[in-house]
Amino acid sequence: MGGRGEKKVKSIFVQRKNIVYTIIAILLILFPFMNDSRSMMILFTQVFIFAIFAMSYDLLLGFTGIVSFGHAMFFGIGAYAVGIFMKQFEPTLPYFLLAVVITILITAIVSYVVGLLTLRLKSHFYAMLTLAFASLFLVLAEKWRTLTHGNDGFTFRTPEIFRDRLDFYLICLVSMIVVFLLLNRFTNSPLGKVLQAIRENEQRTESLGYSVIQYKIIASVVSGVLAGFAGILYSVSLRFVNTSVFTMDITLDALLMTIIGGVGTLIGAIIGAGLIEFAHHWLTELAKVHWIFERWIIFFGIIYILVVMFFPRGIVGTVRNIKLKSKKRVTDKSEQQKAAG
Amino acid sequence: MDVFFNLTLNGLATGMLIFLLAAGLTLIFGLMDVLNFAHGGLFAWGAYSGTWLYATTGSFIIGILGAVVTGLILGLITERVIIKPVYGNHVQQILITLGLMLVLSELLKVVWGPNQLSATAPDFLKGSFEVGGVIIIKYRLFIIAVGLLVFFAVQYVLKNTKIGLVVRAGVMNKEMVQALGINIKKVFMLVFMVGSGMAALSGVLLGPYSGVIHAEMGMEFAILAFIVVVIGGMGSFPGSILAAILVGLSGSFMAYYVPDLALAANMLLMAIVLIFRPQGLFGWKG
Amino acid sequence: MTIQLKLNEVETYIGQFHILQGISLEVRKGEVTVLLGRNGAGKTTTLRTIMGLNPSTKGTITFNNEEIQSLPTYSVAQKGIGYVPEDQGIFSELTVEENLKVAMKNESDSTKERLNYILNLFPDLKKFWKKPGGLLSGGQKQMLSIARAYVNDNELLLIDEPSKGLAPIVVEKVMESIIEMKDTTTIVLVEQNFMMASTIGDHFYIIDDGQTVQNGPMEVLKEDDEMRRKYLGIA
Repeated sequence: MGGRGEKKVKSIFVQRKNIVYTIIAILLILFPFMNDSRSMMILFTQVFIFAIFAMSYDLLLGFTGIVSFGHAMFFGIGAYAVGIFMKQFEPTLPYFLLAVVITILITAIVSYVVGLLTLRLKSHFYAMLTLAFASLFLVLAEKWRTLTHGNDGFTFRTPEIFRDRLDFYLICLVSMIVVFLLLNRFTNSPLGKVLQAIRENEQRTESLGYSVIQYKIIASVVSGVLAGFAGILYSVSLRFVNTSVFTMDITLDALLMTIIGGVGTLIGAIIGAGLIEFAHHWLTELAKVHWIFERWIIFFGIIYILVVMFFPRGIVGTVRNIKLKSKKRVTDKSEQQKAAG
Repeated sequence: MDVFFNLTLNGLATGMLIFLLAAGLTLIFGLMDVLNFAHGGLFAWGAYSGTWLYATTGSFIIGILGAVVTGLILGLITERVIIKPVYGNHVQQILITLGLMLVLSELLKVVWGPNQLSATAPDFLKGSFEVGGVIIIKYRLFIIAVGLLVFFAVQYVLKNTKIGLVVRAGVMNKEMVQALGINIKKVFMLVFMVGSGMAALSGVLLGPYSGVIHAEMGMEFAILAFIVVVIGGMGSFPGSILAAILVGLSGSFMAYYVPDLALAANMLLMAIVLIFRPQGLFGWKG
Repeated sequence: MTIQLKLNEVETYIGQFHILQGISLEVRKGEVTVLLGRNGAGKTTTLRTIMGLNPSTKGTITFNNEEIQSLPTYSVAQKGIGYVPEDQGIFSELTVEENLKVAMKNESDSTKERLNYILNLFPDLKKFWKKPGGLLSGGQKQMLSIARAYVNDNELLLIDEPSKGLAPIVVEKVMESIIEMKDTTTIVLVEQNFMMASTIGDHFYIIDDGQTVQNGPMEVLKEDDEMRRKYLGIA
């Protein structure tokens, strides 16, 4: 028993999951047509953007087991690249695309170099070096005033197609779905399987003949580029960019979203992004009621610590475990009955 | 000449502050493979609690002692509650200590408010004096003196006491230390507390040096300390003071001549060390 | 003679690998018990399991009539079991003196006596008293490691391949010292060098695929060519 039955359960499980995902996607597409609250639409747009960012982080942390504390730098590179191009040149689509290309180039190079330097060492080094690199980019953005206008940042105009809030909502939603599907494909590909093998047992993967460092660098680069893309969308959504995109807060957002949502699941990153963004929105409102809510991040910090300690697989992982267990119990029982009958 | 001397003194003072922070980090890492990303939070707590105590009691000494005690207590709690449950799992450790960092700096804002506090040196350390035409700022000298004092005290303990011997042996081979009948986790708890106390000391000393303290400075200084730990070699105590002085001096001179590149210079130094000598300039643990 | 250490059906996993699949052995007080077997048979893991460095998942380990299988390493050591690992485990930046000092539980006369005794056995260690352990030769490291386990005030020493990588003349020296120490200490020895094993061993156990398969007085193995060929690959 077991093997075949389990497979069947899993495929039913996957099918049902896909149906649920599709329904949610359709609802999200229809949402702005049914609800004319502008602030809700903007909030959702933010969720989509941060979901992309968090998924890129999940590829590193959840699927490869690499901890980065400088993910904000890729986000910031994208945000500034598009801002600078729109400001210094013209807010047209070709220049926008050029900014995208530049973002891909820079994020790829930076993540490659950081990976090359530290991924062969213990995991602490990558965390530390990315943290330090991100602070370097923050300083760069503060000091290179001719391009960045320092701390205060600058506003800029965007190409036509991004100006309508509804269009932009749909662009971000589609981007999120595409990134989800791509990463889903990627993590289920042979390459993705190797990454997960590295997460489970690095030495064994190495002894099986895989060049672990190369695979880790690939994950680092893919993740960096996607984070840069999220940064682009972010600054376009605000039509403004300042040094905050390089701060630790942005990295912490990614961390909270992936950890609380559930590492190594992608969908967990999306749920986490929704949770954190909405919590941010509501708790900021509540700050008017009581000042303690201004420090809302403290609650999430504590939840985060508890999750790391007790539910290292996050919301999605924990729910999945419970579900799998109960499913298994059900099939075991039914097979027993069958055998008895 | 005057400028050169001043920059050197300045660099040494900054170096000592970074050393106090990095020394704990490096020993904690060397002993248990734990890289404490919340170390900067303990530093900031030291700064706030010490500055507040100094302002309330009027005694700088009480402020300093209070900060150190705060560090020791927070260190104990951190080790018992946060680190102990996740021994041996690097990823969990790294993640959890960063979470603690977040909570510690937010709690700081809850207790003392989100705005920065100003801090001044006590009267007997205010001002400067002149030696051979060079003006020396008293407080900087004070920091250097405290830093050296701590260094030699810890060095003495490491070299000449049983517990120090055990710590050094543990950094090299913790399995063997246990096979000799020593409970390394107890030793580690102690080192963690002392390291946290030193971080808190560094924080309270920084106050009058920079004039103001704010919650974010924990992370800023922690990054410098990480750079120092990498350059000096993870687990190497003498390495941490040498590298800290190096980073302090380079920061001080760069900040004067090419201010925009101060952090970049240290980062470059770290990158070079990582490429050619990942065990650090003075360490030997990979 | 009294049984000092007893392993009963001990099993150990390292990661998901089932390394020890049933080790049973008895070590008698005052004897040298030798563990033999091919590379990867589980000899080193047996010693590490006794020390609690690779904790067992099944079976019992009794030392002086007390079960120790679930104790942490440092408690096992405190009960009086010393460990000389395969790589000697020297604290390379500590001097010879400091290496020994870490191991000394107290400054009592009996500990000092043990120190003097072992230093007379290994005069080289006295010669390089202030030299960092990392700079010693292979043989000296081996001696330091054995000395360290001895001054730790242990009744039982677990010694893992002391002859490995040493010149024959040094092997002889190490061997002599182990024979000398037999008077006061029980010893479990993992040894590939059959000459050495058969010279100093009183009793043998053969471990194969993580299980104890044969045992008896050393004389039996010396005479049984067939058994040696089968399990040790030597005639």
